Amino acid sequence: MKNNSSKEQLISRATRWFHGQGWEPFPFQKKTWEAFLDGKHGLLNAPTGSGKTYALWFPILLQYLREHPDSRETIPGGLKAVWITPLRALSQEIRQSAERITRDLDLPFTVGIRTGDTSQAERARQRKKMPDLLITTPESLQLLLATKGYDKTFKSCYAIVVDEWHELLGSKRGVQMELALSRLKTVSPSLRIWGISATIGNLQQAREVLLGPGSEALQQSVLIRAHLPKKITVKSLLPEKMETFPWRGHLGLHLLDAVIPVIKDSKTTLIFTNTRSQCEIWFQKILEREPGLAGEIAMHHGSINKETRLWVEQAIREERLKAVVCTSSLDLGVDFAPVETVVQIGGPKGVARFLQRAGRSGHRPGEESLIYFLPTHAIELVEAAALQRTVEGEGVEDRMPYLNSFDVLVQYLTTLAVSNGFYPEAVFEEVSRTFCYQGMTRDQWEWILNFLVLGSQSLQSYDEYKKVEVLEDGRFKVTNRGVAMRHRFQIGTIVGDADLTVRYQKGGYIGTIEEWFISKLRRGDVFTFAGRNLEFIRIRDMQVLVQKSSKKTAKVPSWMGGRLTLSAQMSELLRQELYSAALPPEKQSLEIRSLAPLFERQQWESIVPGPGEFLIETFRTREGFHHLFYPFEGRFVHEAMASLLSYRISLLSPITFSLAYNDYGFELLSDKELDMQMVLDNDLFTAEYLMEDLQKSLNSTEMARRKFRDIAVISGLVFTGYPKKGIKMKHLQSNSQLLFDVFRDYEPEHLLYQQAFRETFEHQLEEGRLRLALERIASQQVIWKPCEKPTPFSFPIITDRLREKLSSEKLADRIQRMTRILTRQRRR
Amino acid sequence: MTHTLEFGGERLQLHPWGALFWERESLLLVSDLHLGKITHFRKHGAAVPLKALHRNFARLDGLCEAFAPERICFLGDLFHSHMNREWALFESWARQCPCDLELVVGNHDIISPLRYEALGVTCSETLEKGPFLLTHHPLENHEGFNISGHIHPAVRLKGTGRQHLRLPCFYLNGRQMILPAFGAFTGSHVMEPQPGDRIYALADSQIIPLKEPTREMR
Repeated sequence: MKNNSSKEQLISRATRWFHGQGWEPFPFQKKTWEAFLDGKHGLLNAPTGSGKTYALWFPILLQYLREHPDSRETIPGGLKAVWITPLRALSQEIRQSAERITRDLDLPFTVGIRTGDTSQAERARQRKKMPDLLITTPESLQLLLATKGYDKTFKSCYAIVVDEWHELLGSKRGVQMELALSRLKTVSPSLRIWGISATIGNLQQAREVLLGPGSEALQQSVLIRAHLPKKITVKSLLPEKMETFPWRGHLGLHLLDAVIPVIKDSKTTLIFTNTRSQCEIWFQKILEREPGLAGEIAMHHGSINKETRLWVEQAIREERLKAVVCTSSLDLGVDFAPVETVVQIGGPKGVARFLQRAGRSGHRPGEESLIYFLPTHAIELVEAAALQRTVEGEGVEDRMPYLNSFDVLVQYLTTLAVSNGFYPEAVFEEVSRTFCYQGMTRDQWEWILNFLVLGSQSLQSYDEYKKVEVLEDGRFKVTNRGVAMRHRFQIGTIVGDADLTVRYQKGGYIGTIEEWFISKLRRGDVFTFAGRNLEFIRIRDMQVLVQKSSKKTAKVPSWMGGRLTLSAQMSELLRQELYSAALPPEKQSLEIRSLAPLFERQQWESIVPGPGEFLIETFRTREGFHHLFYPFEGRFVHEAMASLLSYRISLLSPITFSLAYNDYGFELLSDKELDMQMVLDNDLFTAEYLMEDLQKSLNSTEMARRKFRDIAVISGLVFTGYPKKGIKMKHLQSNSQLLFDVFRDYEPEHLLYQQAFRETFEHQLEEGRLRLALERIASQQVIWKPCEKPTPFSFPIITDRLREKLSSEKLADRIQRMTRILTRQRRR
Repeated sequence: MTHTLEFGGERLQLHPWGALFWERESLLLVSDLHLGKITHFRKHGAAVPLKALHRNFARLDGLCEAFAPERICFLGDLFHSHMNREWALFESWARQCPCDLELVVGNHDIISPLRYEALGVTCSETLEKGPFLLTHHPLENHEGFNISGHIHPAVRLKGTGRQHLRLPCFYLNGRQMILPAFGAFTGSHVMEPQPGDRIYALADSQIIPLKEPTREMR
């Protein structure tokens, strides 16, 4: 090796560059440079805005200089390094920091971006000649693997950085990354793998998932922690009169007047909302209240078109905006130094997310971060108090990696079959060394191969299944162009409803919107989107045609993906805050004190439970018999507990339930009254036979059915078409619900069908947390309060419309009692 | 368990699999089998379970055994699309089937009538039988009694305790009767019932006549 520059010389070059900017490199940056130059792999734990991009771009470039000390020599072609970002919005930022260093080091590297937003022409140019440094997303990386000759493209690549690894880790995009890395380890012999993660509970595991359990890469790796102290202050925006504070409501508009002065007093304010619909409404309402802000306030969420999003991001940097109303689309990385203030509307439902949002203000290492919390309903004030305590302590949740995601594996193997083809033995070696598939059996692997080639487990003479073929040399390959094309369209594991493009009738792209919302509209309906009131005209060629409308009131699309849930730590803090309601006022937080009227009312109608009490409320309304339970354990645990309890009750006598849950408790609603004494006498909250009962309850509810939807799309069982390209494949579009029924009736042993149940079990129901919760309940005194009417605690739950159902009654019996045939709502 | 009703002065039996038997004529009516749909998907790389496509034939055999009809009439959309190998399965089923077979052609039936006729299946656009005109599409403004398919009707029910159900059904609207889709992997369309309509829901192994819909107060 030409080693004219020693490691020390290289590092001093980086340090000089820092000094030139008037900065001093942080110890974590220096540690990362050294580790990289020592040939290590690793995981860097550093928060947003800490200079993490410089921690890794530098050694990547220095490594090149070490091997090519004469930077005047022409740079050999070929990819040098890949930077993976989960959000396209971040790619510009990352490119700018890379270009800044290459320019100053006098290293004429080209830096390219390849994401879903990259134009066809640019992609074609990249295919011909790859940039030296490539910034891309996990999906686009998969697409590169679906390109013929990808092994040559990646041969020269010596570094890959997976940014925001904590965001990918608990999702199937993380699995996609694991698989891609397993392949790159083989095709890029000198590859160094680095991840960057914000603080999560399971950092060591995060490193293991990234590098592969027991792998050589893992042995040759380091975990570097930034340890930057950052002071965060949480301030609740409280209503003046508690009596009028709503019991539920996800918008929080009653506190609009409290937000306006916050905006006015600050240079730039980011206002985080939990859903895109909430984002739309807040933007509208702020403008209506303060028309003077027009032009100084903008909106940012995932459905808005790229140009607008980029413009907003640039405008924030240039201090041209007073406020931006946004969703998690602005959660990550982008460095917006001018942001002084952050407002969080509604509970953020997770400590890590909240800390990250808080970290958006005073976005310089060492500066204090101030975040205003705006509760959308009374009980969220309890959450606010809990949040303040969180940032004082350091509780952060784990991100749970997926195991045996056969849907992603099917997709990945098809990807390899589309490009170069693959030899099963070689790929099995790679795949079985990933974290996700370490427990995969040989039988399961054979099953997957059969599924790809035969579409089933045995060959039928009349079958015409066509996807992957086995060539004479044993290579698995897709030869059919149609199959290959459809597969490329479908790559990507973030699935939701089909997205439709929204356009003006006269031309002009506005954004994308989910199909189910549009399907509820009729010609002439007005809806709010991208901050505009639009009149729906019609759908043509998978495009929603609209025109501007001057109408004031409009429907606002809401997104299904908008629900978040409390982590275990948050639930614990929340319970403690709630129990403090019984303490004398001077021992309570400001938030709990201001909730006094609500607690009084709750105490009057029912009780406010203390630490040793488990509250059950029952009452009747026009809707039927409500049975409410308050474990205060967070939505996931309540979902599991509601499923478990309703299943156990349904074994005692035939009954049908509608289930609802939030972070505080859950409801079993029925048209019959439950004998609560019987529920208590039968010890239905026992942790015995927990797994068995929970598993059986899954068959009676629809949770697995919903999980199956994504699995069907990812594995290519259902084709969604490709609306943005205007390609309709209606003859191949089917409904995953229909498919679920067909599997249930004819092939319940199918691995992909089974996966839906396993995922519900592992990722939704959190058995461990459920068990702890049941044990806690067993130690508590049960207090059953038959009530006259809905209580303050019950109100947010019983009005929830997103529900699960469970029934042990015969279909015919249920039909006999159904009172009404539903006709679709007519136009007035 | 079938349900018997009178329609057009004739006694008709509704079967919970979605078939209709007219005893006096010994005629079995089924609609919208969409044979070949599963194979069509599989041919394009979407692995719908193969076993599902045998249900259609198993159920047809079951009905033949139960009613021993002289004739079976398919009310259109018998075959989902272009020719594929599921046709061979249909062919061998048709050859061994003791009944006369008739097809009222639907919008999906693009396979040449010659092939059907070679199998002894008579094809026509519409068919008159006694008081009934049999068609694929439901007829509007028809004077007489009409039995058809095409729509794949289903109904949504609501009850106390936020209960909802969606069930495929036989749909009777005045002199018009629409059959549910018989085929596996076919899906359904929710109707908007009006006062006077009569609905017979398919509930597992039973047919359940629903109460007459009333206009909802808003």
